[in-house]
Order: sequence, then structure tokens, then C-alpha cells
Amino acid sequence: MKAIQGKRLFAGIHPHGRKQLSSGRALEQLPPPEEVCISLSQSLGRPALPCVEKGAKVKRGECIAKADGAISSDVFASIAGEVIDIRTMTAQGGGEETFLVIKADQSGEEFRFPALSDPTPEEIRARVKECGIVGLGGAGFPTAVKLSPPCPVDTLILNGAECEPYLTCDHRLMLEFTDEIVRGARYLKQALDCKRIIIGIEDNKPDCISAFERYPDIAVVRLRKQYPMGGEKQLVYSATGRKIRPGKLPADAGVVVQNVATAFAVCEAVEQGKPLYERAVTVSGGAVNEPKNVWTPVGTPLSALVSFAGGEKTSPSKIVQGGPMTGIALPSYDFYTHKTTSGVLLLDEKEASLSEPSPCLSCGKCADACPMLLMPMQTDFYAEAGDYEAAAKQGGALHCIECGVCAYVCPARRPLIQSIRKTKQEMRKK
Amino acid sequence: MTKQAEQTTQVAVSVPPHIRGRRTTRGIMLDVAIALLPSAVMACVYFHLYALMLLLVCIAGAVATEFVYYFVAKGGFAKKCSRAGEVVKSWTRQFDCTSVVTGLILALILPAYTEWYEALLGSVFAIALVKMLFGGTGKNLVNPAAAGRVFLFISFSLSAGALLVDGTLTTGSTYLSGTLLSEGALSGGSSYQETIELSLLQLFLGNGVATAAIGETCKAAIFAGYLYLVVRKVIKWWQPLLCIALSGFVSVCLAATGGTFDITLFPDYCLSGGLVFGAVFMATDYVTSPKGTYGQLVYYVALALLTAILRHFTHIEIMSFTILLMNLLTPLIDTYIVRRPFGYKREKKAKEAVR
Repeated sequence: MKAIQGKRLFAGIHPHGRKQLSSGRALEQLPPPEEVCISLSQSLGRPALPCVEKGAKVKRGECIAKADGAISSDVFASIAGEVIDIRTMTAQGGGEETFLVIKADQSGEEFRFPALSDPTPEEIRARVKECGIVGLGGAGFPTAVKLSPPCPVDTLILNGAECEPYLTCDHRLMLEFTDEIVRGARYLKQALDCKRIIIGIEDNKPDCISAFERYPDIAVVRLRKQYPMGGEKQLVYSATGRKIRPGKLPADAGVVVQNVATAFAVCEAVEQGKPLYERAVTVSGGAVNEPKNVWTPVGTPLSALVSFAGGEKTSPSKIVQGGPMTGIALPSYDFYTHKTTSGVLLLDEKEASLSEPSPCLSCGKCADACPMLLMPMQTDFYAEAGDYEAAAKQGGALHCIECGVCAYVCPARRPLIQSIRKTKQEMRKK
Repeated sequence: MTKQAEQTTQVAVSVPPHIRGRRTTRGIMLDVAIALLPSAVMACVYFHLYALMLLLVCIAGAVATEFVYYFVAKGGFAKKCSRAGEVVKSWTRQFDCTSVVTGLILALILPAYTEWYEALLGSVFAIALVKMLFGGTGKNLVNPAAAGRVFLFISFSLSAGALLVDGTLTTGSTYLSGTLLSEGALSGGSSYQETIELSLLQLFLGNGVATAAIGETCKAAIFAGYLYLVVRKVIKWWQPLLCIALSGFVSVCLAATGGTFDITLFPDYCLSGGLVFGAVFMATDYVTSPKGTYGQLVYYVALALLTAILRHFTHIEIMSFTILLMNLLTPLIDTYIVRRPFGYKREKKAKEAVR
């Protein structure tokens, strides 16, 4: 269907996208790494429980850990080989996680579930669950849970905004696998029993918009280039005009939001029986030689990705896993990709923000830019003084989506996100 | 391997976001200083070297006070003396130009006959007592420049309102209210010994005849500064306009209590005195004005009302006082006017309970 214009957000920013670094590069397959380290915490909820022993031979795509609880997900071997170790290491978030280490062998054996033809909604839901699909936008919420919403929904929204600067993996995916994404969306629609499919794409990707306009059953919404357009609540508002109330799920407003990469994974899971063990990852940044979009097995060491992208151009000031606005800064390359890793960025000195915080001016720029209409400076003020209750009440920290807009615009370079996270943590304890 | 280990130590780890906007505190303050330049230039045109002297004394006084405070306040004084070079370096690195702006504003709201030592004292008071003692940039409760101005007013009876014609000072017993300048605006102003008549154009351009402070005479220059601030997105366009227009309108209404309602006086009230300068450059000070949009609305409306009412009854240069008053109310406004998060709906409990 012909694209319609999406609504403008109340607030937001226009950071320099720097997407041209990698947006022209077609997706490439990473040569299988010799060793992968797969974390068992691949989604929200509890870590999965390993179901293979040390020394076991595993095929590519074989389940190596079973979900533990409702919002946990299965984990699969991303290369064929031998489980050589199960160990606990520091993960990128700073916490301890259990990792399964698999050493590749030459067998190259692959495991697939049987393909489904003409599946029922129940079959689709079951397949999504057994293939361990999680939201690939970054939060890692199991998709199967999202497919059984607590109240009836009428709209499925595909998130193709990709508003984070630098990242282009969804862009490439939408361009190269348009048909698969549409088929995946149809399966999702069937499982949800909803009326329509909307896909929201930012207007800096006109090629993707015209690609999706060819399908009669897909409503395309041309979103304004505005960060954080890809935030769930922001996207729902922009695409449908519905507002999700604070503390509620999108289902409350009758919608379910899925990332385009998730729709692609659903299509592969249903039609080929392929579990989620690899994903598209953008390797980019000013400090990398050849920015690329790469099909990457889960658990690939970052060093392998960086060397595949031509290595370092200059020594990076920051190594970021994820997007530059919400991603995690890493101290070294000794980390491994997750199901939710959408990018690996090597930011050079010019790009990375390294300036020291100075006193708050109360200029209110953070409040003016906040897409959730909060008052980050108030949270920062009270959190610094240790009064977390006032920080939550005055600043509205508990409603924060941590998009990073406030800290981006802050002229005093206050660590606002840090204050907000701390406030959330302290309030959760109470 | 050692090479890689070396390399990894240089990588910075911090909370997101990992990229930042270009705006800095220093940049914003420089923008304000640039916006003040037209006013400063016009002050020099009208009051010649005298204005230049005031500007230099105030800025130098403010910056020097900040530096001395920085040098003396934290850490041992003797220890700092031994490492003076380092201290100067760290001071320049954190110097954010706020004291330059304070000095500039203070000079521009001083009457032209101010003595140099009075100006110096005012800037030292503004920086040391009003700003630095409360914790420096971002921590002061009231606008330093306004406080410095009021301090001088109280200490030396420095009222803006000396008559000045063609740059020659005729200070003396006649203190005209800086706020009531034009002929028609003198409702009940007959008790004043001397008044000058100014056309609206003269009021707008300053025209070398002024009874107000040196920077407040030329409204055209202030307007240029306002435009610059709006274009650079330092202030929101509606803030000063709301304050000036509402204050002018309320003044007209108040004047009507003593006679006839005459809306043609509206521009006179808007353009006279320190209202325009105060509304553009002083009330909009980030630190001492409310943070949320609704709070700002309350702040500017209250400021306009206060200014108009106090002007009507006191007949003295009142803008600095009202700004100080509203500064003190700002924390209250910020505490009680809380923003509602996106998608918030008022609970319908009350209605249902009635049913």
C-alpha cells in the first residue's frame, strides 16, 4: 500500500546518523569462527539451563540449553562442534553469566525442525517458542510470549525505524529479504489473529519504503527521522496515533510491536525450521576499516567480527555493543555477540563523547527533548543527593525508556542515564 | 598480545549514550554574550567611554572574583600557591563564561553615572556572595546580576533614572523613574519634578536621551539580541514576549483606574524602562527560572503581573527586584508543577465514585 506519513513525536533529537558508512554494504556471511562462547542469558528472565554435557558433539542449530520459566528462551549451538567448556565469565553488562564454549569441527552438520506448510496459529506459536525467537530489536523479550497478548489486539506493527545512528542491519535486511519479512509478518498476524499489519520505516530509508509499498496487505508508514522513533511507545503513537499509558503494554492499546528482524526469524523458523542461532550485525564506526553488515552466529567473539571488517583503522576510543545511544561500552574485545546484538561499533576520538560532566545549568534542554515527557534534571538532582523517592516522583524516572536523548542534548554532559538507572534500581529494592 | 593489552586500557567505558550533541555550557554562555553585544555597542555609542569603562570593570571584576574564589576556596591555599600554574590551567579548563555574562549584564543595567568602584563592588558581590558561595554555576538561587544591581541600589541609592542628554551627565537630585518615560505614561506622575518626552521611535532606538541604565536604552539592540538567542535556541521565543506584552497590558489596565482606558499607551509601557532587557536577558536565566514548560508559563505570567503592579505603585526601577522575587519562587514552582509522562491519563475514579 502507498506509504502514509507518520505522526511527529512530541520531542526527540536528530543525531548525526552516520549510516552511510555501512548502509550500502550488502549482508555478508561471516566465515564460521573456530570457537564460540554462547551465553545462557539470551533474553529477559532467567538464564536457560544447559542440556548438553561438556564434551558433547553438537550440530549447528541443536538446542544446548532449555528455557527456564516463561520469559526465558531456548539457546542453540551456532556452529557444529564439541562443547569444550561450560564456564562463568563477566558478560558485557558487567554481571556474571554462564557461557557454553563450542569448538568448531569440520563436520558442518546442521539440525533443523521440520518445515511447516500452511500452519495453524497454535503451530506458529509453538514453533516460535521452540526456535527460541526473542525480540531482536534489543530488549530480547521472548516473541512467543508477545504472541499470546493478555487482551485482544487488532494491529501488528513491524518496527523498521532503526532510529539508532550507525546501525544498518535492519535496513539491509528489509532491502534484501523484503519477501521473507512480509511472509513472517503474515505468520505473526495469523498467530495474533489481528486485522492489519503496519510497517513503520524512517524516511531516511526511501528504498525500503518503496520495497514494502508493493504488498497490498502491508500498510507502510513513513516515519520522520527523529530519535527515538523506534521506541515501542513512540512507534505506536507515530504509526497509529494511539498512546500507551504509563506502565502498560502495547497490547493495552490493541497493538503488538515486532522488529523486522524478528519477523524474518519467524519466517525462517516456520518455513525452514531454522532455530535462531545467527543474526545480522552491523560492524561500523570511524575506527573500523571496512564497515559491514554481517550474518553472525550467536556467541561470535567480537575480535573475529572486527577482523572480518578489516580491523582497526585507528585505535578506538570506545567499543560499543549495540547502538551508540543505548548500547554498552566494553573495555576490550573479549566479549561475545548475543541474540540481541545489533551492532558492534568502534568509535574514534571525534565520535565518542569523553567530556567530563559539569554542574547542571537547569537549562531544561533534557526535559524539552524527552520523548516520554519526563524531567531528567530533577531525577539527576535528587539522585545525586541520595533521595531516590523524590528522584522517581519529581523526575518520573520510573517511566524512562532510557533512550539517552536527555544525556545527548545535555550541555553540561551530566550522566543522566546513570542517575535514572540508579533511581530505578533503588526503587525496585523498596 | 601486549600491544592489545595496552590498547584496551585506552578504551573508555561509560553509560550510554556514547555520542553527544555539540552544545556545551560554555557555548551557550558565549551565545548569550554575543546576544548582549549589540546592547553593549549601543551603550558605548550613547555613553561613550563611560559605558566602556563600566563594561570592562564589571566583566574584569566578575571573572577575577571567580578566579580568586576558585583559587582560595577549595584545597589548601598554600598548597595551591605552590602549584599556581596547574590551578590556572584547571581553572581555564572548567571556565564556562558564566561570569563574563554576569559581568556584562550587570554593567548594562547600571545607570550611566555609576562610579567605577561601585560597579566593581557590584560585580564582586554578584559573583562571590550570590553565585560562588552557593556552589557556583548552576547552584545560585537568584540571578547574580540582578542581585548585584539591587545591592548597589540599596547601598548607594543608585537608581536608574538620572537624566542624560547627549551623553553629558546631569546627575543630581532629580531621579526620574526609569519606567515612566513617555508623556502619556505619567498617570499620577505629576509629582515628578522633571520628565522628558520621547517619541515611540526614540524610546525604541534610545536616541542618546536616556534615563534608564546604559544597556536598556536601545530596544532595537536588545531585540537583535533576542532574535539571536531565539535562532540559536538558547531561549524559547514566547518567554520574553509573553512577559513584556502581559506586563504592558496590565500597566495599561492599571493606568485606566486613574482615568481613561487608553490602549495606545501599550507600546510605551512595553518599551520603557528595564522591562525589555530584564525579560530577554535576566528572567530567561536558566539556573533561576523553572525547568518545565508549564512552570515557565507560571513564572513569566507572575513576573509580568508583579512588574506591572509594582511599577504602578512604586515608581522606581523595579525589574531587578521582581526578577529576584520570582527567582526565589522558582524552586516552589518546580516542586509543585510536575510533568505527566507520555500517555498519562487522569484516573476517572472520581467520576465513577459519583455514579
